[in-house]
Amino acid sequence: MVSHVPCLDACSFRVATHCFAVDSGCVAEVLHSAKLTPVPLAPEAIAGLLHLRGTIVPVIDLGHRLGLPSTDAGSGRTNLVLRLGDDCYSLLVDEVLDVQSIPLERIERPTAAAGHTATDAVTGVFAADTRLIHILDPERLVQSLIKQRTTPFVRHGVSHGG
Amino acid sequence: MVGANDNEEFVQEFLVESTENLDQLDRDLIALEQAPGDEERLASIFRTVHTIKGNSGFFGFAKLGALTHSGEHLLGRLRDGKLTFDDRITGSLYSMVDAVRAILRTIETTGNEGDHDFRDLAQWLTAVAAGEGVEPAPPVPMRGETPPAAAVAAPSVPQPSPATPAPEKPPAADRSVSESSIRVDVGLVGSILDLVGELVLARNELRSIDTTDPAVLAAAHRINTVTNALQETAVKTRLQPIEHVFSKFPRTVRDLAVSCGKEVQLSIDGGDTELDRTLIESIRDPLTHLVRNAIDHGIELPEVRASRGKPQVGRLALRAFNESGQVTIEVEDDGGGIAVSAVRAKAVARGLVAADEAAALPDERVLQFIFEPGFSTAAAVTSVSGRGVGMDVVKTNIEAIGGTVDIHSRPGLGTTVRVRVPLTLAIMPALIVRSASERLAIPQAAVRELVPLHADRESDRGGLRIEGLDDAPVIRLRGRLLPVVFLDEFLGLRPRTACRDEGTVVLVRVDDHEFGIVIDGIRHGQPGAAGVGESASLSTVVVKPIGTLLSQIGLYAGATVLGDGGVVLILDLRGILRAADLPAGREADETSPPAATSDADRYLVCRTRQGRRIALPLERITRLEHVAAADVQPLGDRQVVRHGAGFTAVVDADRLLGDEAMVGNAMKLVVLGGDEGAVAVAVGQILDVLPAESPLQSSAVSTGVSGLLALGGMATEVLDVSRGLPW
Repeated sequence: MVSHVPCLDACSFRVATHCFAVDSGCVAEVLHSAKLTPVPLAPEAIAGLLHLRGTIVPVIDLGHRLGLPSTDAGSGRTNLVLRLGDDCYSLLVDEVLDVQSIPLERIERPTAAAGHTATDAVTGVFAADTRLIHILDPERLVQSLIKQRTTPFVRHGVSHGG
Repeated sequence: MVGANDNEEFVQEFLVESTENLDQLDRDLIALEQAPGDEERLASIFRTVHTIKGNSGFFGFAKLGALTHSGEHLLGRLRDGKLTFDDRITGSLYSMVDAVRAILRTIETTGNEGDHDFRDLAQWLTAVAAGEGVEPAPPVPMRGETPPAAAVAAPSVPQPSPATPAPEKPPAADRSVSESSIRVDVGLVGSILDLVGELVLARNELRSIDTTDPAVLAAAHRINTVTNALQETAVKTRLQPIEHVFSKFPRTVRDLAVSCGKEVQLSIDGGDTELDRTLIESIRDPLTHLVRNAIDHGIELPEVRASRGKPQVGRLALRAFNESGQVTIEVEDDGGGIAVSAVRAKAVARGLVAADEAAALPDERVLQFIFEPGFSTAAAVTSVSGRGVGMDVVKTNIEAIGGTVDIHSRPGLGTTVRVRVPLTLAIMPALIVRSASERLAIPQAAVRELVPLHADRESDRGGLRIEGLDDAPVIRLRGRLLPVVFLDEFLGLRPRTACRDEGTVVLVRVDDHEFGIVIDGIRHGQPGAAGVGESASLSTVVVKPIGTLLSQIGLYAGATVLGDGGVVLILDLRGILRAADLPAGREADETSPPAATSDADRYLVCRTRQGRRIALPLERITRLEHVAAADVQPLGDRQVVRHGAGFTAVVDADRLLGDEAMVGNAMKLVVLGGDEGAVAVAVGQILDVLPAESPLQSSAVSTGVSGLLALGGMATEVLDVSRGLPW
């Protein structure tokens, strides 16, 4: 028997009133109030582009994606830059909380009624002292955005008859 | 001794270095053939072979060692003057180079020397060195993509080889150059470029600090100068001289010439012209193909040349030079040229063009058929015109890297193929344009023209105005109607009206489609005011990938960071063409103005305000207009719209068809010219301009309709405008 318990090193953060966490191993950087470049006609969950030392990073508005309206003003939000394989993505969150070791055995299966709309990207739930932390799989989150084009492309104001 | 598999990294390095050495050997051998007494050259060859021999010993490649040992022995006797240089010796040395190459390739793919024993070749080399060996050299088995002609390098070709006199000057990649360069990982170069980009931004911040401290100012100035120089230098690290491709050609040309029984003199110019390394790789095959064509089919046999009064030795020129931000590479021969008549006949036979049309086409245009897929694979053309095998592939490959190919031929005098490629794909010139509050980049390679728009309709200041209507806006430029996209509206930045008449049209060409992109107006009077004063500026941008998440939108090819730190998206013009659903995929002449003679069978398809699909003959239409209902004034029982000093009668299409005219706020007017003056037909929506797909069927039609036509695959009523309009 091994004495230590297998753990997930998780970086937790807050979106609106909910807490989420991702594997801290994929967190590359935390940026406060970075300047975002909007991307016209991008899916609505794309908040824009971030310039991070020569790399162009798409920024995902996590609150929008999860159906959780942000309680903070846009400017004060934080970019949690994740490295997934060769790609970088940034999650726009309200506040980064801390990094903690969560014993895998205490992570439970997510419940359907979590109050947000991305149950497919939430792989587990962990009941911390004061709050519930949803464990997020960033890979699945990105994939869900790639498949689901929230803004089907339409040329504005034009209808082609005939 | 180190085992072959123990030090993969070192073996890899050995392979790269040896391959380079073999290229050098090829060049040196050709030069030596030209000037057999060149002792320095001979010494260089000796050293190169010696190096390969030494390295193969070190790595335990016994066959390679034995082979190069024999070669070295032969070269040593030559150097010591024990033997004199002749074709037999040249041939045997070429065979050795080929064999070494074959072994290296085997090592590269399998990690060992392979089964083939080159002992016979080694023995033959020794025999030649001893002054014996009259029998031909053993064949060298070739693996992979070795040019098939390389096999003929064996001295079995009886003919002496004055075939390829060496280039007049030694190739640019001289020994000293390779000794003064180092190999650097491409990823590392990328990171350096990124870091330099960061430095530029930090420098810009520094510059914006408000200070009068002379020490700080001086330091800032120095940092500024160094940063600029560093940026320029860093960008250059990605570039490589095109010599890397050209260096293969002396050997290719020699071998091909020998195998075709032709005499060819190759001249290479501009080998030091630089190109991004990824592009260097992409042009290698197309260029090889062009060179092959020139020798195989372009340059005639010596007898033929003599009978035509040309020098026996054919001339093949490879030239590279920088031209307007691109690299131009020319492959020029002084051969027989292309038989334009054969190409024309073939194009007709293949149904690419009608016989009478073909006869009227200028020769330059006819030559373009060579680039049609599969056009020239037919034996008939190959044997007659002797040109263009696989030219479509060449074109496709060059276009894939954003380049162009064109061909010029003077019958009896030769052919020139001109390939133009961008310097690099990672760094490209782009037009930075402003639309509403956004800045966007348009790749400059696609930009044909920038034309200001003028609100003043009667303007003759050279500007343009938008014609057509909301659904199909066009600009008229030099007799052609080109569709336009309002970038602000297209990207959902704001309603289009903001720049409708005072923007600038960026005319772009993508594949075979030309269209306009309307950007914000050029504001005069405050140039240089931090991106506000101008609507467009040219800039060299570093293209950064934007990832699947954003490239799936299909409108952006990438992004770039400008000098001021701002991120700008680069438009994917193909994507825009697709998404905007512009009248594309048609010959340009289909968008020609109504005055053109070919309009007889073309119809403007509209929807009346009641929703009926109707068509009007395009030849009768002078213009399209968009008016507010308020602009249309009742005049007695008629309606008119004011045009400058005069009026034009307006008649509702629905009323012509015997229906009730609908009342709406805005309407579209199709203005028809007629003997009795202009008449405007009010319709609800302009759909398209389409060619008639059937003859006009004029029996059993309803009021106001002259007949039925198939247009765009649908039966469409043609509004009767032939007898004057009943208003």
